[in-house]
Amino acid sequence: MPGAREFEQEALVHLDSLYRGALRLTHNRADAEDLVQETCVKALKAFHRYNPGTNCRAWLFTIMRNAFLNRIRNDKREVLEDEAALTGLAHAGTEPAGIDSPEEEFFQTILHGDVDRALKGLPLVYREAVMLADLEGFTYREIAEILGCPAGTVMSRLSRGRQLLRHALRRFAREHGYTRGDE
Amino acid sequence: MRCHEIELRLGLYVDGELSASDQAVANAHLAACGACAELVRHERGFRRLLRRQPGEPAPDVLRTRLASRARRHGWRRAVLPWIAGSAVAIAALVVALLMTRQPNPLLAALVDTHIAFVQVARPAEIASQDPARLATWFFERSGLRVDVADFSSAGIELIGGRLIDTRQRRAAYVLYGKGHTLLSVFVVPLATEEFRAGRMVRYRGADYSMEERKGYRTVTWVEDGSVFSVVSGVDYEALLECADRLRRERERRLTLRA
Repeated sequence: MPGAREFEQEALVHLDSLYRGALRLTHNRADAEDLVQETCVKALKAFHRYNPGTNCRAWLFTIMRNAFLNRIRNDKREVLEDEAALTGLAHAGTEPAGIDSPEEEFFQTILHGDVDRALKGLPLVYREAVMLADLEGFTYREIAEILGCPAGTVMSRLSRGRQLLRHALRRFAREHGYTRGDE
Repeated sequence: MRCHEIELRLGLYVDGELSASDQAVANAHLAACGACAELVRHERGFRRLLRRQPGEPAPDVLRTRLASRARRHGWRRAVLPWIAGSAVAIAALVVALLMTRQPNPLLAALVDTHIAFVQVARPAEIASQDPARLATWFFERSGLRVDVADFSSAGIELIGGRLIDTRQRRAAYVLYGKGHTLLSVFVVPLATEEFRAGRMVRYRGADYSMEERKGYRTVTWVEDGSVFSVVSGVDYEALLECADRLRRERERRLTLRA
């Protein structure tokens, strides 16, 4: 029977990762703290069902994501957008090639929380995919498990999410007057 | 595999999610096609940028609360053998938390100095955008050899300098601004023993201590017996980037002097 020590060793070691994820889902510290607490309490109660040695972090993120969806369904603060509703976005702003500074240079100008700001602007379905893959380093399979969707869907959300993110970052870079295109 | 197929599978390729055979075919194409290889390099650069985002750690109160919750839960389950062990583990955790939370008076003083000048319209004692002139000013006024870095390519403009007395030590304070945001760089000589490192992070081959205080972020390191600290409300990525540039500037100067 796994106990408190096991829970600390297996689950609580991922607290920073969970909290980071929660911050990116909720956008504020108080809600993030609440969400992580709810997640851990649920995990603790279900810990006897957890199979030691399997991927605990992915398991925790699954619990957290479900808890988060329940919350936003309840307070309707954020609507989980349907992919179909986003098709309009798919055509929004493709980058004109060759105007901006080279990619390399562009990356070096990304400062001041731009990535988080850009991420914050993404619809939830893309934000969570990019967050899980690129910031938390989960594999497609793990993400598919966490999101409860096929791996193919993970791929398309990721690809679109990254594209939107890049687009937003370039826009910020332009706003800051960083890119060569404005000189 | 043709170029447009690589383009379609770029994400999968960089994520290492292609099947072994597709991976091999893609590799063969990339070895021969410079344009596609460039695409891959850019995609990797973008991923690195995302991965580098320093997130903030979970608050210690949350950690302690959850650890004790786990223990209480354990009690309720009346699982006997591990109780003693986990109590020790939690005691150790609390001790560890207390140790990492030791006050860091030097950093507190620097953040307070930063806060003191955030609202000031003309915060610098000497206003100058010329790094060399500021360095001379510091040297003439106080004998401090201060390397003043130029961050203007990142849109961070030099405002000027001040001499401050922090914890009975004369220190150099270089002020920068980006829009309305103040970015402070402190150089406190001979203060190494006063500085206690917080959360360590490695950035471009150097180690830094990151700490948040009163809503401001700090990136601090020790070099040649001096404590260097960059303080601002901007994110860690920007602070680390500034720290790195200052380090490189110092290296350049040291080579020139030698």
